[in-house]
Amino acid sequence: MNVVALFKIVPDDTLIKVTGSTLDLNVPAKISTYDKSAIEEAIRIKEKHGGKAIGVTAGNTDRKAIREALAMGLDEVIAIDMKEQDIYSTASMIADQLKQLNPDLVIGSEATTDSSGGIFPAYLAGLLGLPLISYVKSITIEGKKIRAERNLISSTEIVESELPLVISVVGEINTPRIPTVKQILESSKKPVKSVNANVKPLVKLASVSPYVIQRKKIIIDGSKMEEAVDKLLSYLRQEGVIS
Amino acid sequence: MNIVAYSEDPEYIKVASSYFSNEKIVAVSTSDTKYADELHLIDKMDEEAIAKYLASLKPDLLITGSTKRDKVIGAYAAGLLKYPILPDVIDISGNKAKRVVYSGMGIAELEFNTPIVVSISKKNVEAKERQTQKKNVNLEEGKVKKIEVKQKGGEGVDLSSAQIIVSVGRGIGSKENIKFADELARAIGGALGGSRPITADLGWLPEDRQIGLSGLKVKPKVYFALGISGQPQHLAGIKDTKIIVAVNTDKNAPIVENADYIVVGDVIKFCQEMVKKVGKK
Repeated sequence: MNVVALFKIVPDDTLIKVTGSTLDLNVPAKISTYDKSAIEEAIRIKEKHGGKAIGVTAGNTDRKAIREALAMGLDEVIAIDMKEQDIYSTASMIADQLKQLNPDLVIGSEATTDSSGGIFPAYLAGLLGLPLISYVKSITIEGKKIRAERNLISSTEIVESELPLVISVVGEINTPRIPTVKQILESSKKPVKSVNANVKPLVKLASVSPYVIQRKKIIIDGSKMEEAVDKLLSYLRQEGVIS
Repeated sequence: MNIVAYSEDPEYIKVASSYFSNEKIVAVSTSDTKYADELHLIDKMDEEAIAKYLASLKPDLLITGSTKRDKVIGAYAAGLLKYPILPDVIDISGNKAKRVVYSGMGIAELEFNTPIVVSISKKNVEAKERQTQKKNVNLEEGKVKKIEVKQKGGEGVDLSSAQIIVSVGRGIGSKENIKFADELARAIGGALGGSRPITADLGWLPEDRQIGLSGLKVKPKVYFALGISGQPQHLAGIKDTKIIVAVNTDKNAPIVENADYIVVGDVIKFCQEMVKKVGKK
């Protein structure tokens, strides 16, 4: 069983700050939050069913983040360096690599923390002509058969299909492991294949500006809660948001 | 231009219609709509089959809604067609579109050309009703088979259109304590929601109550964030709220920088005191 985990390296969203009219993205890079769950699930499947777990990333190819993915337990990472990317160009580049790997299962996550479109695995599945199971919160694999529980907002679904296919996982599918020091040291011996992008994006990013809604930040001391609530209610009535 | 609009929720077809009021619109949906010139009523909710049907219409512009399934269907269709795609667009004018990025901290402006697939966000719009020609379409089944569907709990309160929301985070302390927030929500006529840890991880509230990046995006007049620390993924879901009230014992929590009024104190006491006051009036 060969499994591919898709992950993206993004600016750490807890460190991004707005300074004046610009968004400061010059912050440390990290593996996008839910993508770690995709990596974790690929490693678990490999541990249970044997075979290989290979990571594929495109965009920023920050070595420290790639080493973290390898230290978690991926056997190899294919790093596609892309300065400019959109979903079309990223999926085209990744699809090229997947055609060579011919995996049984491709795992992505529900959304990344940078563009948060939540559509990449579905796009890739369409491009490859493979079936897709999205928003997966648990899976079991027997032979060529996969059974998955999907988490939609107002319902859950249990579905079945056959490998090969693409799935997107939600964060609650697992708790990503934290590599040990030994694993981190050993990760430097694992192969990283660098690929240069040769597909141009079709959508052009014209600008990114901060999306700031100025909040009033009025602090009310709640040590005497009755007074605090009176104060808050008078503010909220002034605002006209409660009667 | 051949415009096709798909959503399981007819509200999105109305929004699509408002962006292209002078163009012919072909809607594909499981529900009825008055905001399209043609409606293809499909007989089943099979994502792969719907995506294949949409691709077979060879649209220049495919617009989908932004429910979880809508987006997956639009993206699968875009992949089949090898079209570019823009998800969660909040505004379109000419060949420019805007979308929210970096967990709600930035707005990206993008330039596109047709053919393309765009998924649009919900907003309140005016659109004229159209003379809609209807036809029924029977879809073939995709390769993923549904074995079981379970509807989740919740009282059918629509958080995405609620005017007052009381929302709880880990700081509420325990599952039992949620009843205090629930009493407050009832007393002020609001809906009860929660952060990702409370809904998806701990299961203290049904998952359809989850507010944030991977849950629902809400825009009430007032949002009470009770014991919510304010991670970017949560803030992304409440950006369009008019007034945010945070109640937290930690005055250094990130939510403080992102709220209008911050009561620094105990969440339970706050709920009890609020219920007394609001109930009294």
